Amino acid sequence: MTAAHLLSVDGLGIVAGGTPLLKGLSFGLGPGDALVVLGESGAGKSLLIQAVMGILPTGLRAEGRVTLMGQTSLATDAAQRRHTWGRSLALLPQEPGQALDPLMKIGPQLAEVYEQVDGQSAESAGSAASQALEGAGLASARTLYPWQISGGMAQRAAATMATAGGAQVLLADEPTKGLDVHWREAMVRRLQELLAQGGCLVVVTHDLGVAKAVGGQVIVLRAGEVVEQGRTAAVLAAPSHPFTRQVIAADPAGWPDAPVRPHGDLVVEARQVSKGYRGNPLFSGLDLTIGRAERWTLQGPSGTGKSTLGNLLLGLTAPDAGTVQRADGLAPTALQKLYQDPQASFAPRLSLREALRDVARLHRQPWSTVVQTVESLGLNEGLLLRQPHQVSGGELQRVALARVLITRPAFLFADEPTSRLDPVTQQEALDVLARALDQAGTALLLVTHDPDLARAMGDRQIRLALVAHNPQDHGAPNTMAERLVDP
Amino acid sequence: MMGVRQLGASLLAAVALFASIGPLCIGHDPAAQSLGESLLRPGPVHWLGTDLLGRSVLARLAHAAQLSLGLALLCALTAAVPGVLLGLAASWWGGRIDTALSLLADAVLSMPGLLLVLMVAAIAPGQHWALYAGLSLALWVEYFRVCRATSRPVFAGDAVQASGLLGFGPGYLLRRHLLPALAPVLAPLVAFSTAQAVLGLAALGFIGVGLQPPTAELGLMMIEYLPHYAEAPWLIAAPVSLLLLVVLGMVLLAGDGGAS
Repeated sequence: MTAAHLLSVDGLGIVAGGTPLLKGLSFGLGPGDALVVLGESGAGKSLLIQAVMGILPTGLRAEGRVTLMGQTSLATDAAQRRHTWGRSLALLPQEPGQALDPLMKIGPQLAEVYEQVDGQSAESAGSAASQALEGAGLASARTLYPWQISGGMAQRAAATMATAGGAQVLLADEPTKGLDVHWREAMVRRLQELLAQGGCLVVVTHDLGVAKAVGGQVIVLRAGEVVEQGRTAAVLAAPSHPFTRQVIAADPAGWPDAPVRPHGDLVVEARQVSKGYRGNPLFSGLDLTIGRAERWTLQGPSGTGKSTLGNLLLGLTAPDAGTVQRADGLAPTALQKLYQDPQASFAPRLSLREALRDVARLHRQPWSTVVQTVESLGLNEGLLLRQPHQVSGGELQRVALARVLITRPAFLFADEPTSRLDPVTQQEALDVLARALDQAGTALLLVTHDPDLARAMGDRQIRLALVAHNPQDHGAPNTMAERLVDP
Repeated sequence: MMGVRQLGASLLAAVALFASIGPLCIGHDPAAQSLGESLLRPGPVHWLGTDLLGRSVLARLAHAAQLSLGLALLCALTAAVPGVLLGLAASWWGGRIDTALSLLADAVLSMPGLLLVLMVAAIAPGQHWALYAGLSLALWVEYFRVCRATSRPVFAGDAVQASGLLGFGPGYLLRRHLLPALAPVLAPLVAFSTAQAVLGLAALGFIGVGLQPPTAELGLMMIEYLPHYAEAPWLIAAPVSLLLLVVLGMVLLAGDGGAS
């Protein structure tokens, strides 16, 4: 390790009891250098960041050495690195909503950094905070509490605060998760600026686009072990390990376009529908006709009414103007929905088996058919004995899919069903979804943030847009949306 | 925490046993006067002694316990039914119904509970039903508020929406979604409001506006025994200890509310 490194890590490992969670990891980052950490969920990516920071959960022990700005300390000795927090070492945590103080408005919360870390006077800290928030498109959030702003805004607010102390070493845990294209690019630019100013960066991400944009080095982790390490550009261009190839293949950018399908018999139709939210129009005069076995995708920035449009079609909410009509003869349960957070869509204290059994009984389907469906989705029947919180997100989303398939739906509204899954799991889940819907002849309307995913999953696309794009009020539902793309 | 709850449960069980079989086992009529046996000390015939009119304190205590526990439990359960139903109605329909019901609940809450009971009790002084109605009217608000707050996120949640889309009706919603969420908060609430009702009954009896003599009732007994505090302190100790045991038992049983 040369002295020019801002951050170097030597033989880092993490042990829980006697079980290793992360093994023998070493890297060094100089000014302007970035390290991208790729891998599946549960591979220990977030643990790596927590170990460097010195905030591992109790019960976990770190091994190896961490050198920060020339100061070497044992990885276990978190107290040694504590005084560097905010000043030379900063963390951008994964759940920004939880990183913010819920009892303090965003403006004063940021000003505190300038005051406490930077030593500025209260007045100049306040104006510095206002300026920084304006730069991040958060001027309107200055006087709001964290729970009053959207997830994407909270993400940006947390990022602004993390870097406000002028730290040279930034650890970012999935910094673009949940951001739409516009703010994803803004976040990438922010990371690139940090590198250009001579800082260094460790970024955990599932997004290969982010990996390519920050460049530098890459480590691919699987179940706590480094399967591949090297320069990002080289590894992504010519991966040597099969798992790395799997990760790269799972990136929606590489998926083939969805084949064009013929129109199907009408399932549900919206005519000239308008809907507003608290007096602000979301969309107006929208026409949409969905037929059997068609594949639709729905994109647009947050706050444009994507979920609302789906709920209108499902009949969960009534339009302000216009009509939504189902085809005659459809069963009341013919239109179904998959949720972004599968766990929230199950009764919490009921085993999955009971949940599915209830649905099967209601729809007079034999249990053997349900088991068959569950197994065709790549799930083990034994898994059903567990409760919703005891299975992984990918598994639970498949159980949710099995649950809606019991009702033989004619149309499925999938509201970002894979946004919380890692790309490999996402690809598997969407694969299974597409095959199951094909078999049942079910139409799909899939909401996604990812244009590549939209292209790969549907031949018919709807894009809701903020007509008057106002960065200050981004996310606020104050604009109209239209533009229909139908091949 | 489990140990504390068990302690509360066994305290209550002991009092309930005393209240249910005590009046049958103790061979004395709680109202039978015997002026020759006035203010006897505790002894083998009258375990807790006798009062000024020579009545067995133990027999009176057992009848008072039965009356207080029975009436209080009835009040708590009676209050629970409208409280829970209105709470569910407020969170299910929301909007104006919610506003109206919440306003009503706040209005009831803004009045001291005992005052409300007094007002109802004034319609029929000394009658059981008037006290019962008054206490229930004061107690339903807690059920309403807790039930509304607990059921709102359940109703608004994806799980309930999904179950509606899958074709399940309100019965299923109640059984699979609401009951599991409500039961752990409602159970301790019943214990708490029973304790409140026991205290309320005793307070009213004590100030002479609740049940009237010669009924054996905890508050009445206290006010009757208070003048003999110096010469026969065991007299007033009896109803006070019983009241303490009942309320302590309820509070311990309720534990830390549905935190587990």
